[in-house]
Amino acid sequence: MSASMAAPGLLADRPANDILLDVRDLRTYFHVMDGTVRAVDGVSFSIRRGQTLGIVGESGCGKSVTALSIMRLLDIPPAEIASGEIIFEGRNLLKLSEDEMREVRGNDIAMIFQEPMTSLNPVFTIGDQIAEAVMLHQGLSRKEAWNKAIESLKAVGINNPERRVKQYPHEMSGGMRQRVMIAMALSCDPKLLIADEPTTALDVTIQAQILELIRMVQDETGAALMLITHDLGVVAETVHDIAVMYAGRIVEQGSVDEVLLSPKHPYTEGLIRSIPSRGMRGQRLNVIKGTVPNPFNMPEGCNFAPRCPYAFEPCWTLDPQIEEADPPDVACWLYTPAPGFLAPKRGAQRVAGELASGIRS
Amino acid sequence: MSKYIIRRLIQAIPVLFGITIVVYAILLAAPGGPTARFANNPKFTEADREKFKKAWGLDQPIPVQYCRWMGICNPENEGLAVFIGSTGWPAFLPTSISGTTNGLLHGDLGVSIDTGEAVASRIARAALPTFILAGNALVIWILVALLIGVYAAIHRYSLFDQAATVFAYVGYAMPTFWLGIMLIFLFSGPGLNILPAGGMTETRLSPPFGSDTYWPYFAANPATAIVDIVKHLILPVFTLVVVNIAGDSRFIRSSMLEALGQDYVRTAKAKGLPVRVVIFKHALRNALLPVVTNIGLEIPFLFTGAIVTETIFSWPGIGRMTIEATRSFDYPTLMGLLLITSALVVLANLIADITYAIVDPRIKY
Repeated sequence: MSASMAAPGLLADRPANDILLDVRDLRTYFHVMDGTVRAVDGVSFSIRRGQTLGIVGESGCGKSVTALSIMRLLDIPPAEIASGEIIFEGRNLLKLSEDEMREVRGNDIAMIFQEPMTSLNPVFTIGDQIAEAVMLHQGLSRKEAWNKAIESLKAVGINNPERRVKQYPHEMSGGMRQRVMIAMALSCDPKLLIADEPTTALDVTIQAQILELIRMVQDETGAALMLITHDLGVVAETVHDIAVMYAGRIVEQGSVDEVLLSPKHPYTEGLIRSIPSRGMRGQRLNVIKGTVPNPFNMPEGCNFAPRCPYAFEPCWTLDPQIEEADPPDVACWLYTPAPGFLAPKRGAQRVAGELASGIRS
Repeated sequence: MSKYIIRRLIQAIPVLFGITIVVYAILLAAPGGPTARFANNPKFTEADREKFKKAWGLDQPIPVQYCRWMGICNPENEGLAVFIGSTGWPAFLPTSISGTTNGLLHGDLGVSIDTGEAVASRIARAALPTFILAGNALVIWILVALLIGVYAAIHRYSLFDQAATVFAYVGYAMPTFWLGIMLIFLFSGPGLNILPAGGMTETRLSPPFGSDTYWPYFAANPATAIVDIVKHLILPVFTLVVVNIAGDSRFIRSSMLEALGQDYVRTAKAKGLPVRVVIFKHALRNALLPVVTNIGLEIPFLFTGAIVTETIFSWPGIGRMTIEATRSFDYPTLMGLLLITSALVVLANLIADITYAIVDPRIKY
């Protein structure tokens, strides 16, 4: 954590050792009555200071579980972090004691949840709920913390914060509550902000405002952001890097331009194709055929093979790993020759790149 | 808020009026009647029965009986004049205006057929023993149920939780009369004779509780008198606590489990709050909301008492009086008891609603 004092904003020039969060081979399993669900099954990624990483994928692909594993907010049991390391500023979070972890939560890493309607406690005022964390982590007095709460409400664009701070969550709209959640997350100046589908539960008009707000406060505070979403439009506007998850794995990662403009993995391609665009009036929506595999009965070979239009022989027997690719940007036998097979040349999928340009405009 | 309370109190008036009619109708429909107390008395002739009925006003048509009991009719007048009090004003008006003293509207619940005493003062005398017994039991069982419920919810599926579940089922299924008698057998029987088997005071040492001589005795030896009552309280309170903890602890456990699974608890954890604060501030506060309503509805128990437990432990309270009045066909006493109980249920509902509005900021009246 030496060369970490650089001003935020100059992201591209950062040295590679300026890594804030480094997740290595994370495996989170749930032991339930019917067996074991490998919700996160060997995920590795890293986020540099001030950087923004988008994690994209369908419901149930392990995005949220990854975030909750980082925060260590899963109930153990039934959850189990079977292996892996989560290195945050040089410390492995999985090895911290519960008390040390509490110091990290809310203070170094803050989280915004999907459901603003239920994520705030209905029986305490907004001010109470923000001040509580500030008093705990920054050792401020009640009065100072209350002022800080007012300040952070102002920072997230809430009008008349002196009045709002005394209100209860039910007196506010969903968008307003999500602003409060963001104010709460930022109140202790975290180094990493994890936003788990922050706009999914909101009206479309409010979504844009909230995204803009997250981007703005991130710029101001220099915090890194891990944005979890299933909405490619959201990541295209907000993030630097993307990791695409499917069935508990990262199947493709790279900069937002690389991944969205020239997707490699057939799943990423499918996701981009399934975005409706204006030019498609009167046509059927493209969908990825089939459904997410049954977690108790994962296919042999590539998890995506049953839904993949390009699947060929190795996909049915051999499991591609993103780490084995060179560069490690995609887990697909189309790009990394499977042992004993040749990777076929593919031109057809490049069409997706044109489609993707639609979502950036 | 005060507007709401006043509105609710005004709404309660027609409800209570309806209750008097329903209670009266139910008792009329019940087999027996006030003269059934003499059914097995061979000396009680048909002429005696007529005399008895006339003396108690039972020869009047039922609406007139009801109106006299309510205090709308003046029993001293005949014909249409029954509705007029002795001063010439309508009889249902307060005593100071109408001069009428009989009936519910004038605070008179009639006279007990059994003892000849005014029902109101008879009930008032039994209310304190019941309040002592039920109050102690209620406070203890709610506190213990809270501890068990919350602890079991936090440590779900632990050995403690499993044990509490088993205890709850056993306690819930256990008949009060069986448990009470077993406790008497164990602690007051020949083997381990350490606690009194029944009553409220040691009759050889002190005057009966509530009698004219009791309070001077109490003032002279307060310590002895209190210890005496406490000794008599232990077994009946224990009986009530065991039987009632079962349901309440399960209720509190499930309420707490629900709160612990809420998103805002996860938010609180994500803020880095200590587990203690997450559980006892964020989760418990919400878990207690439904519990408040539940406890509010248990308030009438402080008056009605536990019929079976009071009977088994010969506790001189309302519960035992209810059984005695039923057994001896003492209709005025029964009417009084049922009416006060119903009124308390209405009141307890109101108290529960008001408390709920105080503890839950989302509710505004």
